[in-house]
Amino acid sequence: MHRARRPDTAVWAAMLLGSVASLVASLVLSVDALRLAEDPHAALSCDFNAVISCGTVATSWQASVLGFPNAFLGLMTEPAVVVLAVAGLSGVRLPRSMMCAAQVVYTVGLGFAYWLFHQAMFSIGALCPWCLLVTVATTSVWFEMTRINIRQDNLFLPRGLQSALSTAVRLGVDVVVLVAWLLLLVLAVVLRYGDALFAPAAVQG
Amino acid sequence: MTTTARPRARAAELARRQAAGREARRRRLVMWTGALVVVGLLAAIAVAVASASRGDGTAVATGEVTAPAHATADGVVGVGRDDAPVTVSVFFDYLCPFCGRFEAANGAELERLVDSGRARVELHPLAFLDAQSDGTSYSSRTANALATVADGAPDRVLAFHQGLFRQQPEEGTRGLTDQQIADIARDADVPDAVVDRFGDRTFVPWIADVTERAFASGISGTPTVLVDGSAFSSGDLYTAGPLTEAVEAAAAAR
Repeated sequence: MHRARRPDTAVWAAMLLGSVASLVASLVLSVDALRLAEDPHAALSCDFNAVISCGTVATSWQASVLGFPNAFLGLMTEPAVVVLAVAGLSGVRLPRSMMCAAQVVYTVGLGFAYWLFHQAMFSIGALCPWCLLVTVATTSVWFEMTRINIRQDNLFLPRGLQSALSTAVRLGVDVVVLVAWLLLLVLAVVLRYGDALFAPAAVQG
Repeated sequence: MTTTARPRARAAELARRQAAGREARRRRLVMWTGALVVVGLLAAIAVAVASASRGDGTAVATGEVTAPAHATADGVVGVGRDDAPVTVSVFFDYLCPFCGRFEAANGAELERLVDSGRARVELHPLAFLDAQSDGTSYSSRTANALATVADGAPDRVLAFHQGLFRQQPEEGTRGLTDQQIADIARDADVPDAVVDRFGDRTFVPWIADVTERAFASGISGTPTVLVDGSAFSSGDLYTAGPLTEAVEAAAAAR
């Protein structure tokens, strides 16, 4: 009975978890960015831990595309997602247009997160753990939001597409795609940074 | 009425069962495909981790550790007179952008201090940013080239060192080619016979060894600058002046 009334409890909960993780990571990164701005010498060296060396991620132009640290975007947007997730978790049926708008904005955010991930991997040549947490959490939240929006038919999609997608979601295709996606991320990081991640062992051997 | 209702109910029941069966089959298909994909990816990750931790990486030391002549076992490539009153040690990686900024600010000053005999500079070329030159191991290639110059043409070390930083590539790029590094050496009047040995990579194991020792001894990043063995942290590394003042104060204290 309880399950039938709110079948998406676990999905909303996962969304809450992901958005809170993203918010925490954004806060840490924002504080770092402020420290860096206060004391430019703080990160003006290259750390031995090569993967997160040089403060490269934090001082690159990609780190503040819009003229302020990217992490501020997380501080502005993630609280809204936290509120959506809490509302959904307590059984509120949110207006269709509101959820659709959230989907659009969050999709843009996801695109931005992956652009940054790509830049960090291939242009900056460095990764930071908190940035990775943002990437993973954003991905997870996007999948949960999409799942809910498809189930609730919030996206104003053509009927054929809507029914195909809702069948896919009912069968759990989205969960498989999310897990595969996250594993692909892990694989990409290991392939690109494996040598550096396991550097001490590599130098000894 | 019952005669027509019964077959209709039976047909509906059949359709419902067929639909349920179809649904269950599709669900199983998704589950098994998903399981296969996940297992495949996990296997790929395991293989990648195993090969990374085996260390078949690009420039990881494999040969015997040979130190260049005119360099010490703990990684010092010395420049200047042995009897100079003050010793300035500089730990750097040729790909480290902040080392480039340090050199731009203080390179000429250090050269002046060396020339006037007031200081001896001990260069510690490290290679820990190899992963950030898109697979070309720029840090190891350049550090090896410096060691080769220290081995064969020690009086050209400082000129070559400065030349490398003048053309420092950005992190995340492939860096300079071996040919470009050789050209910089020739411009610094390193004899051809020495330049031709860059490609032997003779000192790559030594570089890996001294890099490890430097970090084991407590150096945590680059650039690290020591004046007479103690960390120079009293002033800005990236403007000319503070370091020179510290060196001159130390020289005066002698």
